[in-house]
Amino acid sequence: MRFNWNTLFVGALAATALFGCTKAGGENQGVEYAPNMYHSVAYEPLKQITDKEAGSWLSNREDGLGEFFNSNVNNPHEMNMREPVAGTVKRDENGFLPYRLPADSLAYAAEVVKSPFEKTEAVVANGKALYEKFCIQCHGDTGQGDGKVGVVFKGVPSYSKGRVAEVSEGHIFHVITHGKGRMGAHGSQLNQKERWEIVAYVQQLQNQ
Amino acid sequence: MTNRGFFDSDHKTQCFLLIAMMLFKTFFSRLALTLMLMVSLMASSIAQDASGGDGIPTDEATISAGQSLFEDNCTVCHAVHEVVVGPALKDVHERRPLDWIQSFIRNSQKVIQSGDEYAVKLYEEYNKTEMTSFDFSNEEINSILAYIKVESGKTPVAAAEEPAADGASATQAGASEGVSDFVMYALVINLVILVLILIVLAMIVRVLTKYLEQKSDLDVEDQEIISARFSLAALFKSKPMIAIMTILFVAVITKTVIDSLFHVGVQQGYAPVQPIAFSHEIHAGQYDIDCNYCHTGVTKSKNANIPSANICMNCHSAIKTDSDEIAKIYAAVENNQPIEWVRVHNLPDLAYFNHSQHVKVGGLECQQCHGEVETMEVVRQEAPLTMGWCIDCHRTTEVNSKGNAYYDKLVELHAEHSKEPMRVEDIGGLECSKCHY
Repeated sequence: MRFNWNTLFVGALAATALFGCTKAGGENQGVEYAPNMYHSVAYEPLKQITDKEAGSWLSNREDGLGEFFNSNVNNPHEMNMREPVAGTVKRDENGFLPYRLPADSLAYAAEVVKSPFEKTEAVVANGKALYEKFCIQCHGDTGQGDGKVGVVFKGVPSYSKGRVAEVSEGHIFHVITHGKGRMGAHGSQLNQKERWEIVAYVQQLQNQ
Repeated sequence: MTNRGFFDSDHKTQCFLLIAMMLFKTFFSRLALTLMLMVSLMASSIAQDASGGDGIPTDEATISAGQSLFEDNCTVCHAVHEVVVGPALKDVHERRPLDWIQSFIRNSQKVIQSGDEYAVKLYEEYNKTEMTSFDFSNEEINSILAYIKVESGKTPVAAAEEPAADGASATQAGASEGVSDFVMYALVINLVILVLILIVLAMIVRVLTKYLEQKSDLDVEDQEIISARFSLAALFKSKPMIAIMTILFVAVITKTVIDSLFHVGVQQGYAPVQPIAFSHEIHAGQYDIDCNYCHTGVTKSKNANIPSANICMNCHSAIKTDSDEIAKIYAAVENNQPIEWVRVHNLPDLAYFNHSQHVKVGGLECQQCHGEVETMEVVRQEAPLTMGWCIDCHRTTEVNSKGNAYYDKLVELHAEHSKEPMRVEDIGGLECSKCHY
């Protein structure tokens, strides 16, 4: 049999075209093996595909939309996540009700708000671990306001000097929650238990 | 040729002298003027000091006392050369009278409520931020002002941090370039050596052929070898050549296809462009901000979470406020519009994964699966996230059972029939239904 170079060449080209684009990189997500099993049917909180045509080539959805379409059209911006219903009160995983004092009641909070936790070693240790994740970049490892971000950000006080050395636990808790001066509110990043643990550790830094 | 006109030799010297004199004259007059100015300035400052001019002390001890008071109490909201929370304090003693400053520091609200025009304007300008009252004595306030006055005279120090960091990264880049340069040179040198060897060999062959051609006592076969000429066409048409080429061709294509097939469903290397040019290299690397600071869900939930804009604003309320990229965050906050980040790590829906289980309970570092994100300008998927990759880790990783009472009984039971430490596979880490259901 006479060997046909052209057949081989065309075959090779076809194979390269078929499989050349499978590898992911840069903007290319690569090829999926079984797309129906890769894409969630249920709404995914951190994934949102608003293109109604996405994956229509393999879709067998009853609503006629693309297989990959995954957004909740009833929500603002077609988001899959939704804010809690207005007027509802969340009790967090540790049983706390929301901290309700508004941002401008710092003086009141400083006098009235008290920690529900005893400052045991475990609480302080937890506080230190959290401090090193959430506070250290501005306040520095010993609370002198000399963290890497703090130096650039400016206006970060020392815990152990001047007025800040004397502020009460309620004051610290309120400031973590709502922020003060240049510091932003951290209530959304830390729940109340975590905030009180950090307060315990900060109080230790005040007295260093 | 005659050498006439303004620039003949005599005139040249004259002209030079003239210009030099003029230059010196202007120079001297300028110098004299500057000197006089300086003397007068010094005199005026001495005169001021002697009379106590503005009532602000100038001795070293007071200034250093003022410095420590300033640093302990004021730097939270004030700097000398720039606005922090409150106004910049450069030359504040020239802006307001001493007794006004003293009463404002002791109780700013009182001054504002008294209807003082300047104080009210200031209060409005700084978004009605109340300045904390400080119970300082007059001497203490004067010492702080003495320090501010000294600092006002100095030129502001431009952020010395950043150039240093840039320099460091520049040298790093240089080092890595150096390595690739070295490889490049080595390759080029190798190539040159190989070409030289080829030339030498060709010369030897030629000399030998010539020598053999002169000999007449060769048999026919040898004669054929010597007089054979290289023919490219004949080589390509020869059967062994076609066979070799075909095998090579098929092998290469097969390997490409198999390799590609193994990449199907694996998104390793995916690095999409994000709507905001956020750099993990700057945030997590240069500034050492913990991953958990922004990815707040990582110890609490299935997802690590993408930070909401209010977390960006904790710093960017004041940092790089004029950047175009940061302006996109401001726009998102103002319009209550979500920022549509592109998800990088897309685990197939058929597999379950939980961050808190691995990070909080297992105590894994983020980098173990995500690679050194703190060095990535644009985040890319570092691990293959394939089942084999998960299983490998479950086979080798010991369970982080220390201080976790949940595992006490399991460790005990495991120790009864095994001397090996308890690994994830021993507590069901390989069971299908752990991840697929």
